[in-house]
Amino acid sequence: MTDSQTSSSPPRPEYKTYGQIVWGQFKKYRLSYYSVYGVLALFVIAMVAPVLAMNVPFYMHIPEGVGPYTQLQGTTSFPWFAALFDQNFFDSGVDIFFNFLLFYVPVSLVGWTLMMRFKKDLTDTARSKARLRFIGIASLVGIVLFSVIYLMAFSQPYVDYASLKELEGARLIFPLIEYSYRDVDLMAVSQGPSLEHFLGTDRQGRDVFTRLIYGTRISLTIGVVAVSIYTAIGLVLGSLAGFFGGRVDNIILRMIEIMMCFPVLFLILTLAGFIEEPSIFHIMLIIGLTGWTGIARLVRGEFLRLRNQDFVQAAIALGFTRARIIFRHVLPNAVQPVFVSATFGVAGAILIEATLSFLGVGPANAPSWGQILTSGRNTQQMTLILSSGFAIFVTISLLNLIGEGLRDATDPKLRK
Amino acid sequence: MFTYILKRVLLMIPTFAIISLIIFLVLNLAPGDPAAAANPDGTETVSQDARESYRIFKEQFNLDKPILLNTRYGLTIEDVEEPLRVVADFQRPVCAEGAPVTPECTPADERPMSADIIAAQEEVENYGNYAVPHLIALAQNHERLDIRRLAVQRLAINAQRPQVDRFNPDPSDELRESNRAIAAENNQLRSWSIPQDVTPEDVDTILEEKWLPWFNANIERFEYSAADKVGIFFFDTRFAKYWENLLTLNFGVSTVDRRPVFDTVMQKLPYTMTLSFFSILIAYLISVPLGIWSAYNQNTKRDQVVTIALFVLYSLPSFFTAVLLIQFFAVGRPFSWFPAGGFISNNSENMAVLEQMGSIAWHILLPLICLTYGSLAALSRYARTGLLDVIRADYIRTARAKGLAESMVVLKHAVRNGMIPILTLLGTLLPTLVSGSIVIEFIFNIPGIGLYLYESIYMYDYNAIMACLLMSTVLTLIGLLLSDISYALVDPRITFD
Repeated sequence: MTDSQTSSSPPRPEYKTYGQIVWGQFKKYRLSYYSVYGVLALFVIAMVAPVLAMNVPFYMHIPEGVGPYTQLQGTTSFPWFAALFDQNFFDSGVDIFFNFLLFYVPVSLVGWTLMMRFKKDLTDTARSKARLRFIGIASLVGIVLFSVIYLMAFSQPYVDYASLKELEGARLIFPLIEYSYRDVDLMAVSQGPSLEHFLGTDRQGRDVFTRLIYGTRISLTIGVVAVSIYTAIGLVLGSLAGFFGGRVDNIILRMIEIMMCFPVLFLILTLAGFIEEPSIFHIMLIIGLTGWTGIARLVRGEFLRLRNQDFVQAAIALGFTRARIIFRHVLPNAVQPVFVSATFGVAGAILIEATLSFLGVGPANAPSWGQILTSGRNTQQMTLILSSGFAIFVTISLLNLIGEGLRDATDPKLRK
Repeated sequence: MFTYILKRVLLMIPTFAIISLIIFLVLNLAPGDPAAAANPDGTETVSQDARESYRIFKEQFNLDKPILLNTRYGLTIEDVEEPLRVVADFQRPVCAEGAPVTPECTPADERPMSADIIAAQEEVENYGNYAVPHLIALAQNHERLDIRRLAVQRLAINAQRPQVDRFNPDPSDELRESNRAIAAENNQLRSWSIPQDVTPEDVDTILEEKWLPWFNANIERFEYSAADKVGIFFFDTRFAKYWENLLTLNFGVSTVDRRPVFDTVMQKLPYTMTLSFFSILIAYLISVPLGIWSAYNQNTKRDQVVTIALFVLYSLPSFFTAVLLIQFFAVGRPFSWFPAGGFISNNSENMAVLEQMGSIAWHILLPLICLTYGSLAALSRYARTGLLDVIRADYIRTARAKGLAESMVVLKHAVRNGMIPILTLLGTLLPTLVSGSIVIEFIFNIPGIGLYLYESIYMYDYNAIMACLLMSTVLTLIGLLLSDISYALVDPRITFD
């Protein structure tokens, strides 16, 4: 198409995209709509956890000749910022990732607002396109930046900041709660709620409120990553089966059948029990590798439905490559039930992780909600049981509500 | 219909085989195994006797065999020499610092780690009979004396033959006779070992006098024809041995209490089944009427309230509720109306039948609540949509038009057709009869399959884990078949022919 033709043709009317239609429908389901904000709030809590609770001061000034650490004497420093990326302090990559987001997300939001300042006269379509592109570029840059930070493996020597607090002339400004989620304090074991420990302490004297906040990170990460793994597997296998049919379809269908007869929870429990010191990555991988059957069946069904539709036939007639037909034409039309299923899947994965932790085969040492619940059960501490139980309950409810809303919003029969 | 069922049953066999293969591989390839669990740091194997009983333990559970495919008929002499060299290096004294390195000592930096020694010992031991010709050759010709000595010492163990069907509780007379002969030969072979400090002549003597004549007399045992090799390749493996037993419904014995796993599972099954049966029954009894009721009150306030309430129940994790219920109603905060765990009172033997049933009901009420409430939402939703699907159908309108009472229309015409999907769901619930809920059994300490599996996982009790997993697989397969068949049975529009 040449330029003159484009300019002479009448301006294209502003169609609503499919996503906008679904979003418009979705907004009408009030509970589901608010649940999105609920999940966003959980995400923000996960991100700002170190601002709320960490045993490292934001600002520290030690006068000359005071305290046990000679290298700190007479200095003013901001140890909190360094500790965020300290791989001795946070031994899990998940924590470092969320700490990174704590800075990166505000920066990108500011960047987006600034960009919009300069381009005020955009149409809605152009704006949403620009937003998509911005999100794409921003996440790519973010991944690269995070990889660089993570691979640098920055660490610094351990300093007991709490002991410096009492020094004469020392000025330290701590976060709201001065505990870390893994520092054991044997002087304060199994305490009830108090002003120092809002929800008490567990058997090893760790502050439960802090663990609860950091547990948000574990739960959200496990849910999202595990579901991403199995959604990817399911998408690939489902599209292959649905698009090629015949022998490929038969083989993949058999695989799905076999996986469906698998005693999956038993298997997950067995695997998790066999791994010594399972990390949350093990748990995510196990859930991800066993959960793909539902998605694969959905996608296969959608492909079978779409394969004979005119636009796909036209694409085939035009001689497009198979990859292009699958990825550009069929898949975008087949993913909407996947979104619904994935939302429920996140809730399911969080529940599985909580169950595993509750049974004592979850990620070792991680501040998982299920682990808090089981330690509360062992020591009969109601605060532990109630707080962690409600955290799990609220998270799962929010996700399920979003799933329900999405399901109804994508169903044309239920359109309001 | 019959051909369809037959086809499905035949298809179940390869499915079951593949699932059992995958589970088996996962269990065996996962880090840690029952042998390691019985012998966590190698300390069990210090003394000669302990080593021998450990070897028999491995033999009993086939842990000395390769997992899937056996290529040990093609062992080379280097395969055997390498681990022996590791052990020999470990047993040699370390060279003094500064002194020249002589053949009689190991340089300090080459001294093997203790984990390597354990692994090397295991390796030769697991080679069993297959290593014998190479051990003979090593004992004869190796240039290092300590390796020759080690080879003879190993021969005394590796040359022993395993008894056939050794752990059979009541063997036939023939079997007993042949096993007795094997045991006698093994005893003799064991006595042909040599002490640590030997001269080359000692090794030569024992080889000439004992081992070479024995080896030459039994040489056909160590020569494998092509058919033998195929047999060994596929069938002298853990998986093949397991399947061999499985075909006779023999799930093996537990590594923990040495009792047949199948008996234990059968003994634990009633507990789980009682729990699951009543749970499913109650779930249907509540959710079907509830679904019908809310379909009739579609989109009213009442319907919404019920839907939200069920939704909340659905999102409540059952282990949370279970812990809370125990706290509130069992351990006296504030009530202690129910027992905190178990299936029946301890003194149940001297109770009347009715009393026993009362005791069981009293014990399982709380677990039942926890097990049931979660499925209410899904089931009543099925019932609701099932009814909504049929309620606008023409035949319902016809029934109303011909003047039938509303109750008649609902119960006879609508419900019967609307409940087809939810009835066929029963088949898929069959596996839960066995798997029940690990979590609930764990919290309430009910000695069912779930708790058994949980405990077996901690003990690396492969046979028990396999039995539980396979049992659940078989029931899933049967359940899926039943649910398909029941479709055809309840709905005459569906046929499979």
